[in-house]
Amino acid sequence: MASVTEKIENLKIEFEENRILRLIGYKTRSMELKDPVKKLIDEEKQKLDHLLHPVSIYTILDYEETNKHPIFNGAEKVALCISTIGLELEEEIKKLMNKNEMLRALILDSLGSEAAEEGAIQSDRILAEKARKMDLWPSKRFSPGYGKWDIQEQRYVFSVLPGESIGVRLTESCMMIPRKSVSFRINFYKDKELSTRKK
Amino acid sequence: MSKEDILARMEKAIIEGNKEEATLLARKALEERMDLLEVIEKGYVRGIQRVGDLWEKGEYFLPELITSAECMKAAMIILQPELEKAQIHVRSRVKVVIGTVEGDIHDIGKNLVASMLAANGFDVIDLGADVRLETFVEKAEEENADFICLSALLTTTMLGQKKVIEILKEKNLSQRIKVLVGGAPVNQKWADDIGADGYGENAMRAVKVAQKISQG
Repeated sequence: MASVTEKIENLKIEFEENRILRLIGYKTRSMELKDPVKKLIDEEKQKLDHLLHPVSIYTILDYEETNKHPIFNGAEKVALCISTIGLELEEEIKKLMNKNEMLRALILDSLGSEAAEEGAIQSDRILAEKARKMDLWPSKRFSPGYGKWDIQEQRYVFSVLPGESIGVRLTESCMMIPRKSVSFRINFYKDKELSTRKK
Repeated sequence: MSKEDILARMEKAIIEGNKEEATLLARKALEERMDLLEVIEKGYVRGIQRVGDLWEKGEYFLPELITSAECMKAAMIILQPELEKAQIHVRSRVKVVIGTVEGDIHDIGKNLVASMLAANGFDVIDLGADVRLETFVEKAEEENADFICLSALLTTTMLGQKKVIEILKEKNLSQRIKVLVGGAPVNQKWADDIGADGYGENAMRAVKVAQKISQG
């Protein structure tokens, strides 16, 4: 049976300042951010309205419809999702690096990583809510390449979901382009005990 | 302004990450026909060395290091054509071939390491990302490089680092060409396990490790 693919487009990306500072290499929270760096972060943030294009696609499969990989064992249903912020930000990073603007490039790269993660978090919440509405218990989200779900399973995710429809494709080595993309699955269980999610 | 004043301002421009000042002073050095080797060694290089010290002390972080490296590059872009015209060679530079291994398209970390190495006087040949493993060795041989720096951001692609070391061993080059590894999943244990000569936990550490090895 062909699975139904849905799109999530209204993702609102917000940033936590401390996380950005950590991502660009500051180690202590107490240190005062130097004005020039703060100014650069603010300036790069201003660009994000134009550079971020967050969008996700997902599908929810009955266990029987999956490839029955052992990590789906015990699940009633499995949600698969691909989330991205698009390619434009990466192109801007490339331009900055070519202009010897390495710090701006690093800041924008960190903002992009954070935005991609935030898009995945929000999509994950939406899918967990859907599980609850089905009277099922969602697991945490897991991405290919983590734990017992091999990176090669990206191919399975992309065989089920049309990544191209949101501009995401896989390389031979199973990396996603745009790089600021996240793919993941959530198992939906009947039994609360099988769910690893705390809330 | 005396020569000493100009050299001190060059050092300060690098420490403070002031790109305008660093480039303005480089132009001034050309106008005033200053000794360019002295300008580099006693002005800008002293600045970048001080930046490294401040990082070691925990007073500077990656953003300050990058800004100083940007300033150094901006100044060198102005000085380089004159150095070449006058056939002046900056000390005996240690040559590095760097890239992200085959199958891996991450490049920002590798670019940061390349830029920090260049700012600290290494001659850097950047092969880019998703580089065929044999190419690292071929290029290092061709360029008579001292180091190969291998970046990998995935647990799958970090195996490429091991393969490059094996290729070097097969060609009896592992004594002459040292290998530094880095990237998110890489650690000292992995570096030891695969027989790498060094591990750069971050861009500045990579520079320090390369300096230590090249100084014997």
